[in-house]
Amino acid sequence: MGDFAAKTEKLTKIYKDFWRRKKPPALIDLNLHIERGEIFGLLGPNGSGKTTTVKLLLGILSPTSGRSWLLGYPSSDLKIKGKIGFLPEESYLYKFLTAEEILDFYGKLFNIPGKERKGRIDRLIQNVGLDPYRKRPLNQFSKGMLRRIGLAQAIINDPELIILDEPTSGLDPIGSREIKDLILAFKKQGKTVILSSHLLSDVQNICDRIAILDKGVLQIMGSVQELLSKNDVVEFLVKNLSADAVREVDTFIKSRNGSVLSINHPSTTLEDLFINIIQHRS
Amino acid sequence: MILAIANHTFREAIRKKILHVLFGLGVFIVIISPFMPTTDEPDARIKMAFIVFFQVVALLCILGIIFLSATALPYEIEDRTIYGILSKPVSRIKIILGKAVGFSFLSAFLLGILSLIQVFFVWQAASKTPEKYRGVLKARNEFRASQFSVRGKSHHVREGIVWIEGGRAGVAVWNFLHLPVESGGTGHFEANYKLKIESSSVDVDTIPLIVKVADAVSGEGKTNILSAKMDEPLTVEIASEIIQKSGSVEITAFPLRSEDYIGVTPDDVKLFSVQNGFAVNYAKAIGTTFLKFLLMAVIAVTGSTYLSAPVSIVSALFIFLCGHILDFFKDFSLLLHRSDMHDHSLLSEFDKPGVFFEYLDFIIKKPLEALSVILPDFKKFDSLKFLLKGVDIPLETVGFLLGYTAMYVSICLFISFILFKRREIL
Repeated sequence: MGDFAAKTEKLTKIYKDFWRRKKPPALIDLNLHIERGEIFGLLGPNGSGKTTTVKLLLGILSPTSGRSWLLGYPSSDLKIKGKIGFLPEESYLYKFLTAEEILDFYGKLFNIPGKERKGRIDRLIQNVGLDPYRKRPLNQFSKGMLRRIGLAQAIINDPELIILDEPTSGLDPIGSREIKDLILAFKKQGKTVILSSHLLSDVQNICDRIAILDKGVLQIMGSVQELLSKNDVVEFLVKNLSADAVREVDTFIKSRNGSVLSINHPSTTLEDLFINIIQHRS
Repeated sequence: MILAIANHTFREAIRKKILHVLFGLGVFIVIISPFMPTTDEPDARIKMAFIVFFQVVALLCILGIIFLSATALPYEIEDRTIYGILSKPVSRIKIILGKAVGFSFLSAFLLGILSLIQVFFVWQAASKTPEKYRGVLKARNEFRASQFSVRGKSHHVREGIVWIEGGRAGVAVWNFLHLPVESGGTGHFEANYKLKIESSSVDVDTIPLIVKVADAVSGEGKTNILSAKMDEPLTVEIASEIIQKSGSVEITAFPLRSEDYIGVTPDDVKLFSVQNGFAVNYAKAIGTTFLKFLLMAVIAVTGSTYLSAPVSIVSALFIFLCGHILDFFKDFSLLLHRSDMHDHSLLSEFDKPGVFFEYLDFIIKKPLEALSVILPDFKKFDSLKFLLKGVDIPLETVGFLLGYTAMYVSICLFISFILFKRREIL
């Protein structure tokens, strides 16, 4: 057993067309190392190789070359899938089933015994806020509700590693915030989360480390703090400072050969403002 | 896990509109089948119900099964719901097995419901049919005469039919040898006569007939006087003691009155041992039909592991069609065989087949021969021929079909495992 949650070594994927001719590489020599207990963001524009990486990690695709491991086992090992939860890009669920039935079906695929399965289903449906809709077929669900039930199915096996492909896509800001809160809760429970997304703000807010892919090539990888910090710039957040005092500080900085780039009142994020208004009204 | 996928497959399939339409049509046809116009044969309505069920309704059902089993996997791949399963600890082999089992559930479900409805309507049709014409509702073993002869003199022979004049001028004799004695213990035997009659009297459509059924060795037996009617079969029950004596039976028949005549052939009298009731035989017929459905579903699933939905449907239908005309393939390739023979004959260069015929050999004959060897012969699953004659479907036949299906299912599953394991799901 390795001490990592996921690892890839020179992972390469080249798709072939119907005539077995090679297409341009979807992923080239990817080396990733994801620690246990962290939230890892996989970033990149459309077609950058994020989903291919996820499918290779899950063993849905076979690599053209290179290797990958999850929780210390090769990705192709079926046993390891029992400890992994996966939320696909769109909630690709069987729409004719009800919320309860779909969780029951996936629970059976994990061989979770009947009584325990029922208990977990009840708990999960409540956790994702779908209790009033548990008997409703998924084809009557909104996109947000589908995302939530998708997330519930991803954690029905109480996984150690959760792979989420665009978890907040199609969600309104409140739904998006709820999912992000859930992801942070997973981290508190000691679970590892791999988050594939192109919504940069989502990733910045919750990820410990990120990797950016472009055209199948890893461009950069590191902790969010490290990658985003500007070491030659200092920021103070001060409360209750008078205008005179601000001028004095400005003069002092200039006397020490520093230059003040901007003096602003910090603003809240649009997401926080939206959520405050909606929650206040309700 | 396989059962979970099977159950899921079944539940998904029974929600499909195409199945609802075909099933509804099947139920409608089953219901109206006993009321369809038939010939004047007394048991024609019952026979019609069987023909309609095993040919038309079964065809509708199998088309539904083919369509659903050929498209289930491609549609799951297309709408990407397959990711939900592939990301779980389920091997691809189990996914295929789950699909196959799911469609076998569906086949059993469809056949079960439709056959129950049919049995009800057959029973209704039977209640309107006189008892003596309900032979098709039995499950009999058929025995043909080992020997046929005419004692005394025959009046004349015309078109293979021996005509015998009444009043003991001649006696028709059928000998049945080596009958299964043990069968007499559980069931009973009956003789079925289908004789032609004529009379020199005017306006006679019924003649008295002396019929004796006796042990072939001791000659001990029973004599009956029957009223033979033109074009109507006669059935006489035979006491099991007669059969059990030596296992050989002699049946004799002649017209009582000298002005009457009977026309006979070796196959005009048949002996039947009645072993099981109709229910068991019908269950066997449904069972063999189920095996055919199962095999076809597995073939369709196999194609769907590699092909897109439309191609998969067409391929499955092609195999289904070819599986019913393998005899034609064999006959046709035999006809083409003549072109081969020319090559080795002493014909002149002029008479030898041209390049076209040589290519024909590779383009048509060899593929036809290969198809007739590789493809399953669906005609083997035909249980209708037994039901229409009221003949018991032999257990050997059922056993053979079980083995035949198991062999093809194993081959198909093996191929589908290889194809699906290697398939990239994008």
